[in-house]
Amino acid sequence: MIRWFQRAARSCSFVRFKRHIRNDFRRGIRRVRRNRMLAEFACAAMFFASGCRKPVAPQPGVAIEYWISPQPHRVGPAIVYVNLLDAAGDPIAGAHVDFEADMSHPGMAPAFGGLREAAPGRYQGSLEFTMPGDWVVLIHATLPGGRKLERDISVPGVTAN
Amino acid sequence: MQVPGLRRLFRWRHLRTALQIPLLIVSVAMILDGLLGPPLAPKNLASTLSWVHFRGALVLVLLCAGNFFCLACPFMLVRNMARRFFRPRLNWPQKLRNKWLSVGLFALILFCYEEFSLWSSPWWTAWLIVGYFLAVLVVDGVFKHASFCKFVCPIGQFNFVASTISPLEVKVRDLEVCDDCGTKDCIRGRRAAGPELMVIQRGCELALFQPLKVGNMDCTFCLDCVHACPHDNIGILSRLPASELMVDPRRSGIGRFSQRKDLAALAIVFSFGALLNAFGMVSPVYALESWLAGILHVNSKAPVLGVVFAMFLVVEPAVLLGMAAWSTQTWGGSRRALVPLAVRYTYGLVPLGFGMWLAHYSFHFLTGLYTVVPVTQSAFARLGWTVFGSPRWTWLGIPMRFVQPLEIGFLALGLVGSLLVIYQLADGDCAESPLRAFVPWAAVSVVLWIAAMWMMFQPMDMRGTFLAG
Repeated sequence: MIRWFQRAARSCSFVRFKRHIRNDFRRGIRRVRRNRMLAEFACAAMFFASGCRKPVAPQPGVAIEYWISPQPHRVGPAIVYVNLLDAAGDPIAGAHVDFEADMSHPGMAPAFGGLREAAPGRYQGSLEFTMPGDWVVLIHATLPGGRKLERDISVPGVTAN
Repeated sequence: MQVPGLRRLFRWRHLRTALQIPLLIVSVAMILDGLLGPPLAPKNLASTLSWVHFRGALVLVLLCAGNFFCLACPFMLVRNMARRFFRPRLNWPQKLRNKWLSVGLFALILFCYEEFSLWSSPWWTAWLIVGYFLAVLVVDGVFKHASFCKFVCPIGQFNFVASTISPLEVKVRDLEVCDDCGTKDCIRGRRAAGPELMVIQRGCELALFQPLKVGNMDCTFCLDCVHACPHDNIGILSRLPASELMVDPRRSGIGRFSQRKDLAALAIVFSFGALLNAFGMVSPVYALESWLAGILHVNSKAPVLGVVFAMFLVVEPAVLLGMAAWSTQTWGGSRRALVPLAVRYTYGLVPLGFGMWLAHYSFHFLTGLYTVVPVTQSAFARLGWTVFGSPRWTWLGIPMRFVQPLEIGFLALGLVGSLLVIYQLADGDCAESPLRAFVPWAAVSVVLWIAAMWMMFQPMDMRGTFLAG
C-alpha cells in the first residue's frame, strides 16, 4: 500500500517538480561544495608552493674560507684560494677540492678546474672568467674520510678589462 | 598541407592535444624544478628551458614555419579541461577589445625580466609560469571564446606580430567554395541537433572569419576552422613572408592595420623592445644605469629601468617615427595625416625587429643547445633516477664563432625585409614619388639596424645586481 502510494506520488507532476527543485538544490550544494573544495585546494597549493624551497644543508662542522684574486674581479685569469678548517679551527689537509664556475645566465660556458694544496689546509687554483657579468663559483670538496661538502661563492659584477 | 603525411596529421582532430600534453608535462617539471630544485639558473630546468630553449625554438619555428607554439600551448589544454567544469558566461568588455592591455603586459614582462633578473632566478621563473596558468584560468574562466589569447597573452601577441613574417598561413584554398557555403562552420562551429545544442566542433574563437581573414595576425593556428569546415577548404598554405604587412585590406576580426593604433603600438614595442632586451645584456647599459642613477639620485633599479624603458619604448619611437612621418608628409607628398602615416609605416619595422629577436634568442639557443641534457640528467638524478647517467656539465652548444655569422645574417635579413615592406607601403601611399616616401623610413630602419649591429659586437655582460662593479 505504501509502495503504491509512493509510486503514485512519484508520478504526480507537483511531486516531480518538487523533486527537480530538490535535485537542483542538491546539485547546487554539491557545486558550492565542489567550488569550495577547489578553492581550498588552490589556496593550499599556493601556500605550499610559496614555502617550497630546497632545504639548506646544515653546517657540517667544517669552515670554508675563500677569496678570489684579483679584486675587483675582472675578465681573464683569477686565483681561487680556499682554506678548510675543522671545528677546532685547525687546517684540514689532504682534501680533494675542485671548482665549477658558472654565469648567472643559463647556457653560458662554465669553467672547471681543480685546486692544489699549497700548504696544509690551504688550497688554490686558477680559473678564467671568460665574460663580464655575474658568476657563481661552486667549490666541491671531498675531505679525508670521504665526507663531501659544497659551497657556492657569488662573484657579482666581473668587469671587462 | 598538400604533403600527404602532413595533410593527414593536421586533419587529425587530436593533434593539438597530442602536442599540448608533452608541453604540459614539461611545464609542470619546470615549475617543480624551479620551486624545489637548485637555485643556480644554469643547473635548473625552469630557467634553462625558459630562457635558452623555449625562446630560441620559438623564434626559429616562427621563422621557418608559423605560429605552431600557440598550436601546442599547454595553457590552453588546462583551460579546455577547466571549461568542462566552469562555463564562462561573460563576453570580453567592449572597451578592452583592443591590444592596449596586451601591449602594456608585453612591456611589463620585458620590464620584470630586467628588474627581477628573471634569467638568473629559477624560483621567479617558476612563479611566472604558475601565474600564467592562473591568468588563463581566470580570464577564460570568466570570459567566453579565446579572450586570453586575443586580448591578454603577451607571448601570444609576440607570436602574432612575429608570425606576420612566417612562410605559412592558415587560409582558405578556394574562395568560391566559401561563397556557396551556407553554414559558415569555420566561425560558427557545429552543434549537435537537439535541445541542448552540444558543440561538436568549435569555430574560430578569435573571431577570424576565414573567407575574409588576411594573414597571421591574431591566428593561434588552433586549426578549429580546419576541423570545422565541411568542405575541407581550409589548410596551412605557403605564402611570401611579410607579404601581409605590405597590404592594408579590411581583415576579419581586426579591421585595417592603418586604423589600429593599438596594433601599431604593439609593433613598436615588438621592434624597439627587441633592441631594448638585447641592450640590457651588454656592458654599456651599466654605464648608462650608473649615469642615470647619479642624475636621479636613486639607489634602486626600478626608477632607472623605468627611465630606460620610457626612452626606448616611448621617446625614441616618437622621435624617429615622428620625424620620418613628417618627412614623408612634407617631402614625400603623402596625403595622410601625421599619426595615421606613422601608424601605417610602423609595420614596416616588424621584419627588422624580428631579425633582432632572432639574432638574440637564437644566439642563446644555439650556444647553449646541449645544456638541456645535463640539466635533465641532474633533475632525474635528484629524484634518484640515474638511468640517464651523471650530468655532463661540459656539454654546451655550437661554438660562438659559428653562431655570430648567423646573427649578422638574421639582422641583414631583417633589414632587407623591412626595406622591402616599406617600399611597398610607399608605393601604395605615394605612387607618383614612392622613393621620397620610402627614404625617411628606410633611414629609420638603417639607424636601428646600425644600433643592432653595434650591440651585437658589444661584450655580453649579464648582471643581476644593480650598480655592482
